[in-house]
Amino acid sequence: MADQPLLQACRVHKTYHFGAHGVEVLRGVDLAVHSGEWLAVLGSSGSGKSTLMHLLGGLDRPDAGKGEIRFRGDPISLQPGAALDAYRNRDIGFVFQFYHLLPELSVLENTLLPAFVRSARKRDRATLRREAEALLGAFGLDHRLSHRPSQLSGGERQRVAIARALINRPAVLLADEPTGNLDAATGAGILDLLAERHRQGLTVVMVTHDREVAARATRQIRLVNGMSDVVEES
Amino acid sequence: MYASLVSNRYLTSRLIPVIAVAAVALCVALVITVVSVMSGFLDMLKASGRSIVGDVIVSSGIGGMPYSEELLTELRALPEVAGATPLIDTIGLLRMPYPAGPQKETAHVQVWAIDPASLSGVTDFADDLYWRAPKDAAAADAMAPDDPRRSLDPTILEDGKRLVQSSTKTPGIALGMHVSVGNARQRDGSYLPRYGWFMPGLEVTLTVVPVSGKGKIAEPREQIFPVVNEVQTGLFEVDRNRVYIPLAEGQRLLRLDEAPLYDLTADPDAAGNYPVIGRTPARVTKLLLRAKPGCSADALRDRVQAAYDAFADRVEADRMRTASMPRFVQVLTWEQQLRDLIIPVEKEREMMRVLFSLIYLVCAGLILSIFWAIVVEKTRDIGILRSVGASRTGILWIFLRYGLIIGTLGSALGVLLAWVIVTNVNPIHEAIGSDAPLAIRITAWSLAAACALGLCVTALRRKFLPTLLWMLGTIVLSAAALGLSLHHGTLIWDPSIYYFTLVPDKVDWWAAGTTAVGGVLFSVIGSAIPAAKAADIDPVEALRYG
Repeated sequence: MADQPLLQACRVHKTYHFGAHGVEVLRGVDLAVHSGEWLAVLGSSGSGKSTLMHLLGGLDRPDAGKGEIRFRGDPISLQPGAALDAYRNRDIGFVFQFYHLLPELSVLENTLLPAFVRSARKRDRATLRREAEALLGAFGLDHRLSHRPSQLSGGERQRVAIARALINRPAVLLADEPTGNLDAATGAGILDLLAERHRQGLTVVMVTHDREVAARATRQIRLVNGMSDVVEES
Repeated sequence: MYASLVSNRYLTSRLIPVIAVAAVALCVALVITVVSVMSGFLDMLKASGRSIVGDVIVSSGIGGMPYSEELLTELRALPEVAGATPLIDTIGLLRMPYPAGPQKETAHVQVWAIDPASLSGVTDFADDLYWRAPKDAAAADAMAPDDPRRSLDPTILEDGKRLVQSSTKTPGIALGMHVSVGNARQRDGSYLPRYGWFMPGLEVTLTVVPVSGKGKIAEPREQIFPVVNEVQTGLFEVDRNRVYIPLAEGQRLLRLDEAPLYDLTADPDAAGNYPVIGRTPARVTKLLLRAKPGCSADALRDRVQAAYDAFADRVEADRMRTASMPRFVQVLTWEQQLRDLIIPVEKEREMMRVLFSLIYLVCAGLILSIFWAIVVEKTRDIGILRSVGASRTGILWIFLRYGLIIGTLGSALGVLLAWVIVTNVNPIHEAIGSDAPLAIRITAWSLAAACALGLCVTALRRKFLPTLLWMLGTIVLSAAALGLSLHHGTLIWDPSIYYFTLVPDKVDWWAAGTTAVGGVLFSVIGSAIPAAKAADIDPVEALRYG
């Protein structure tokens, strides 16, 4: 089972319903992500990149009976809600284009949020806090621990979002346009940070419409033609 | 852990939870204040009722009960009885000494013919006599300069306790405090003579109508009594209607005193008189009894009923007796006796409790709308939390916990606020009934002027929201200042309606506890619907459109 994909989409269909109308966004997408690779998913706006990422991350499920998402071979998209919650918490880390930090929480608290979801024990709090501080320190945010997201720059916010995604040491990092809201220099810094984590063994799936950003990945795929085909690129 | 972190941050970083807490606190305080005053009112009514009629009342028909002294001696010997007294309860007309001139005002009154000494052992009669000389110089100094009690002769109290005018040795009458128009109640609860009529020492004429045991009305009889004192039980209905005369005078006027018994079957003598074959005993219409500490009124009632029945049986069996005991007497506890007074108040209290409990629904609705707005605003946060693995139950708990904290805080503050209001209700009432102090009026006008200045400044800067807020502040403070300047006192608690001269000022802690729990419960219920909505939000939708 050495070549078993870490994360896999098997003939996945996804349709969004708007009243009586349905829009099929994904039409039998097949995708395999292997451990330790950095995969970039390219595609134009509305091509279903984010939908695919939500399905891979267990935030959503494929249409009933039309494909499944597998993690380490297990069909996680068929699991009950509680198992999906645990999957999102332990095995997946999300990074979004608009950072999605809680505005009322400090940098440290935002980073600790997935850890607090994972562990309800108060005695873990000090350990978790030390881990989060170390992580944020590695990202150059040790002077920003008590600041609110509104007090940070865009690049700093995205680094906090990445720290939050990594706090539970997930198997896969799913990044949805992680540089889409940043200028070129700041975006490059974020990509460097992802590259460093990838070198340390992290599996990264990154959704982007930017070819230059995608070029940082070890493998690229493109969703085209209404998501009916997946075209592997070098 | 994350639920407490998030809900605590939502609570402490925004203004809207403060508004929700204030709303819950006001609702809870309102219910507790109203119920406490009503409960205190009922408690005062009951306490007063017991102090006026004792624990148990034995009432006969209009013909009265003979051998009352003999029966009372037996009743006083019971281990449960602390005191017992006879009386006659009837109605009469009282011709007052006012106005000046031949036409006098007449009042219909309830007449209690009493034995003052034993009545004081059963009720608070002696303590309720209002006119008495001050105990010492300090007590006199505490009274208003024109208070008639400052110059009273100490004998007035003794005269009241004995119902005898000591200067003339004639039987006297004590009037309820509000029977005459001559007593004007002051804000401190004292009385000043009104229209120049200070009743003690003046004479009134009491007219009563004797009624035979068979219900036949005899010629009305009247007697002039000097007023020896006035009685303030604190129960307005009693103080407005009741007068007290000596028992012997009442028995004589009503023909219930001891009288010769004639043999109507024999031939009358030359003067037309039938031969006397004995004497019929004096009668009374009521016996009042006080229970010893530890004995309930209900237990005493049962004991007295049994003792009365046994006594009546012995009298019935005794051929030497010239009268028999009435078979159908009512033996009631003071609560049963005063139920016409107590039950409406109890019903009123329950009605108020139910009506004001509707405020809970307002409270729940308020929380619901506030939380609904919060959930709509926080939709994206919910998506974020779901993306990091928060369960739907966890999301539900964040908002339920939020409601629980708001309800708990609001209820605690509400109880505190109610405690402050209720324990100070009489000073507050006093303040409402008086002119506002000059310092408060000046402060109110100064604040209004400051707001007006702020209004001018913001209007010049052409900022809409600050201008509106300063305008509202100016209007509200100006209205308050104007109200305080024009206000010259309003009497809200009218003793003629509420029986008592003081507003009850004890917190009903049972009501406070249940209301606080209700406040928490309805806050949680109010937050449950938005919380459930939050838990049902699709995380993808929340992240995309939140």
